Amino acid sequence: MANVATFEPGSAQLLMGNEAIARGALEAGIGFAAAYPGTPSSEIIGTLAEVAKEAGIYVEWSVNEKVALEAATAASFAGVRAIVAMKQNGLNVALDFLMGITLTGTNAGLVLVTCDDPGALSSTEEEDSRPVAKWGSFPLLEPATFQEEKDMTRWAFELSEELKTIVIVRSVTRTSHARGDVRIGERLSPNREAKFVETQGLQYTTYFVGPKHELAYQKISKAAEIFETSPFNSYVGPEKPGLLIVASGTGWFYSREAVQTLDVEDTVGILKLGTTWPLPEKLVREHLARSDKVLVVEEIDPFLEGNLKELVGEDPAAVGAVKFYGKRSGHIPHVGENNPDLVTKAISGILGIEYVPVQPDYANKARSLTAGVVHSRVPGFCAGCPHRATFWAVKNALRMDGRGGFVAGDIGCYTMAIGPTGFWQIKMASAMGSSAGMACGFGNLSQFGFKQPVLAVCGDSTFFHAIIPALVSGVYNKANFTLLVVDNSATAMTGFQPHPGTGSTATGDVTPTIDIEAVCRSIGAKVEVTDPFDLKDTTDKLLDLMEDEGGVKVLIAKRECALVIGKKQKAAYTMRVDAERCIGEDCGCARICTRVFQCPGLIWDVENGIAGIDEVICTGCGVCADVCPAGAIIREAAQ
Amino acid sequence: MKQKDPLNIIITGVGGQGNFLLSQLIGNVLVRSGYHATIGETYGASQRGGAVVSNLRVSKEAQYGPLIAQGQADVVLGLEPMETLRVLAQYGNPQVVVVTNSRPIYPAAVSTGWGSYPTPEQIASLVKELSRKAWLVDATDIALEMGAPILANIIMMGALVGTGMLPLGPESFERELAESLKRDRLDINIKAFRRGLALVGDAA
Amino acid sequence: MSPEIKGCQQLRAEVIDRDLCSLCGACVGMCPYLVAYKGRVVALDDCNVSQGRCYAFCPRTATDLDLVSDAVFGASYDPSPVGRAKEVMMARAADEGIRSRVGDGGAVSALVSFALEQGIIDSVVLTDSSDDNPGGVLLREPRRVIDYARSKNIVAPILAAFNREAGKDEAQKIGVVTLPCQALALAKMRASPLENRNNIDKLALVVGLFCRFLRRECVVCLDLTGEFADISVGVEGLPDWNILIIRSSRGQELVDAARARGVIEVEALSEENLDRLREASLRKRKTGLGNIAKVTGSEDDLLYVVLATEARKKLVAGQ
Repeated sequence: MANVATFEPGSAQLLMGNEAIARGALEAGIGFAAAYPGTPSSEIIGTLAEVAKEAGIYVEWSVNEKVALEAATAASFAGVRAIVAMKQNGLNVALDFLMGITLTGTNAGLVLVTCDDPGALSSTEEEDSRPVAKWGSFPLLEPATFQEEKDMTRWAFELSEELKTIVIVRSVTRTSHARGDVRIGERLSPNREAKFVETQGLQYTTYFVGPKHELAYQKISKAAEIFETSPFNSYVGPEKPGLLIVASGTGWFYSREAVQTLDVEDTVGILKLGTTWPLPEKLVREHLARSDKVLVVEEIDPFLEGNLKELVGEDPAAVGAVKFYGKRSGHIPHVGENNPDLVTKAISGILGIEYVPVQPDYANKARSLTAGVVHSRVPGFCAGCPHRATFWAVKNALRMDGRGGFVAGDIGCYTMAIGPTGFWQIKMASAMGSSAGMACGFGNLSQFGFKQPVLAVCGDSTFFHAIIPALVSGVYNKANFTLLVVDNSATAMTGFQPHPGTGSTATGDVTPTIDIEAVCRSIGAKVEVTDPFDLKDTTDKLLDLMEDEGGVKVLIAKRECALVIGKKQKAAYTMRVDAERCIGEDCGCARICTRVFQCPGLIWDVENGIAGIDEVICTGCGVCADVCPAGAIIREAAQ
Repeated sequence: MKQKDPLNIIITGVGGQGNFLLSQLIGNVLVRSGYHATIGETYGASQRGGAVVSNLRVSKEAQYGPLIAQGQADVVLGLEPMETLRVLAQYGNPQVVVVTNSRPIYPAAVSTGWGSYPTPEQIASLVKELSRKAWLVDATDIALEMGAPILANIIMMGALVGTGMLPLGPESFERELAESLKRDRLDINIKAFRRGLALVGDAA
Repeated sequence: MSPEIKGCQQLRAEVIDRDLCSLCGACVGMCPYLVAYKGRVVALDDCNVSQGRCYAFCPRTATDLDLVSDAVFGASYDPSPVGRAKEVMMARAADEGIRSRVGDGGAVSALVSFALEQGIIDSVVLTDSSDDNPGGVLLREPRRVIDYARSKNIVAPILAAFNREAGKDEAQKIGVVTLPCQALALAKMRASPLENRNNIDKLALVVGLFCRFLRRECVVCLDLTGEFADISVGVEGLPDWNILIIRSSRGQELVDAARARGVIEVEALSEENLDRLREASLRKRKTGLGNIAKVTGSEDDLLYVVLATEARKKLVAGQ
């Protein structure tokens, strides 16, 4: 990640949206930053962590988003500007505390950046964070460009201090993870006199709820006034367009490009809104009055669209007759992420223009020629990943046990065990910690005839985030289940951020590791440890623990992530296939290595009918040698 | 030839191939020379062996969005041949220029026996059929010969620059390598860049 | 023409998932897909081979008894109540110590240890029921044979141990003490037309034990006396003696040698006792045929039994 602290003010830098947000926070003089990793938000705090010492600020990976928000709010109360970042699911975790801020208000500027993932490219669901702003009466900003990611973040702190409340900045994958050139500004210094002082009684409590709730509404009215003149809202287009587009976030780039592509600059106007809650009512009414057709382009839910309609409904005469198009009408699809083609299609549909994106001849030719040869590429565990070995053992143990046992999963790389890479073992996975939570339920259904063994699978970072309370609940309520902690010493899926089990902080300081095994024992679970690469031991231990009906058991499958190990040391083994011994597709094998185990380091030589090793991809972990029934995969200690 | 504005470049490959480091390198060169560059990327789950695509938009006039529309790719730089074909099916057009690595990374669909991987001849013929001009580069093999598979990306970058489709010449890129790499890695990377350059003549 | 040989998917659909698996273990230990665990044969994954040894060797898939009998005895199937027999007699271990340890005639222990001592076999597969996961145990020392003797029969997938041992280069002459279904599976290996014959030529001796229904899945069995063994031995209510049936020439050679060495004692079996044995066998067949008809829904469909018309009539009529 870029060294955002030392850029020359005035220079143009190619920045990822998240890096721009980080720079914006530095320019605003933040002193405190906290987060839990979550795609697509992780680089915000990751970037700040890299420059923390140099910039003289404090940055941490908190154990979960609730703690991150609480810690950041504390900094705000003590007079230090603070930023907290998360993905949409993280917002759900932080929500309880966030709703208290409606009433407590803040002191120094406090900004919450929430990064949504339209289309769930790296999530288990797609969820629109924005309603939380309306729900809790917080101002909401939606950056549309990389420059705005920086500038809005910087301005958000001023806004927060003027209104004495938290400001929500909502980004999405395509702005957070995309890069664009950004002009750098000047940095402010953080406040170096932190102090907690009440200027009036009960100031930082939610009491008294009535008056403070009223005050929250007043803050929102004030924000609406401020937004009337914000440079983040602008209009481009004719005086009286045939179609008015109201766009927020990515909608701005896509709409502008769509209008260009269709060559309808004279017919279509675009109102870009960067301040989307509360709506600057005068400004919005003024522009809505330009046209009787309005297309709203936004990501995920028709939040902006709904609020525009509310506004119109409050005073219909002010705007005149308006027909709305967008997610409600289906002109923009209800689900999935937006892209320029969708907007082009919507505009051409509304205006009755024909548009052909690609020469039909080429398009048909391309589709038919590639149809038989281009296959889907489903993400899976990397070569050498301990999870592949773990789920191999899980699959075998569950089948051998034979009582219909199953796995409740959680969030991390191992979530991919929902699919073929993990042999379809995970049957459910949505919120952090829910594997153990659900196991608590399944594990107390015996009086209703429930006899199936339950395995809850979670990672090491997930363990600290949300599993511990569920584990306590399970032991306390005498639930019968086995928690399988797949400990690869990494928060891998989001980019290898450190966590309480890895021994270092976000800023690289050494810190005592918190030992998962010790925590489980002290909670009172029965604990065993295994090396997932030892397939037999892991399978045997799983079978034993599943047969033990006495309450909560924990099996820790401990082996470092292949990508982490790959950077630290050379491969343990050199692998090769003995062509003489390989029985391939015959009885006794049926290509178990490539067809079933499916490590990407193993390839099938169709011509010669034998398995092979892809020496570029293979990491030399050696596990496949134990999968081959013919001893054809040879594992030799690397030189 | 008048430089197309915006120039749409798609860099495609498989998670773990270093797609983003490459697009970033290229983007930095462009921004340093005063161009607007936007790079759209996909992270997270896609990195675990899924297809990974960078949408690179280059313009002197304005900043463009991070996604390229269907059929609007001007250049496709493929780090993996099947991914090159996949991108061409959606973003290709009769004018597109293609540079693709020749070495396959087999998807599970192929190694499990569901489908077969296209032969080198099929790939070459399809790529040529679907483009105005195309080059197949044995970047991984050359990189292995030079000592490290990861050099394949720099070789591909050299090849991309060699097509002449970018508004900047080789010197700008070599300068960027000198700025961003450690001394002990610079030499081998410059060599790799020039190997790629040499494999591709200037486009007509 | 031998019956159609299918693959693992069909084995699971036709036998295992229909609760017909006798747990002989013939399908286990030849590949990573099928394992035996605590009284069940488990498929760990889906094998897609269209013709497999697992299906070919299973005693509950279509079995042409004439072809199998021909492979073992060089003659077609004998539907007599006690199967093909050269001689039926009473036999017991000469050593009284063996008899009291075993609790019956002890003939099996005596004959098997003798076979090991003489090098007729260099290893033997026996049933090990010492924990809750019974399986096959492979022995080379004659002295240890008696550790695994007991009067009551236990079902364990011991042929998995045979499969594993036969696969090793060092193994040459393997003996197996079997239940009737296990003897039939070994016989199907000998008769199998598949190119991969599972190293069955290393099988040097089959000692069959008499067996009455031991598990729920056994109810379709028609074989009381282990008709496809070299010799069959049982306990039939005769204190201190076993009934011994000699079936094959190598069985004959073993018994003759053991008698000559004074390792076993023999006596003639009375006609009364022989009749009782025949009736017991016919009773089992009748029950088995009845259960088969329940499974197939028809008295004409003998499920896994394929037999020439004449012999079939005799088998079904219970003569």
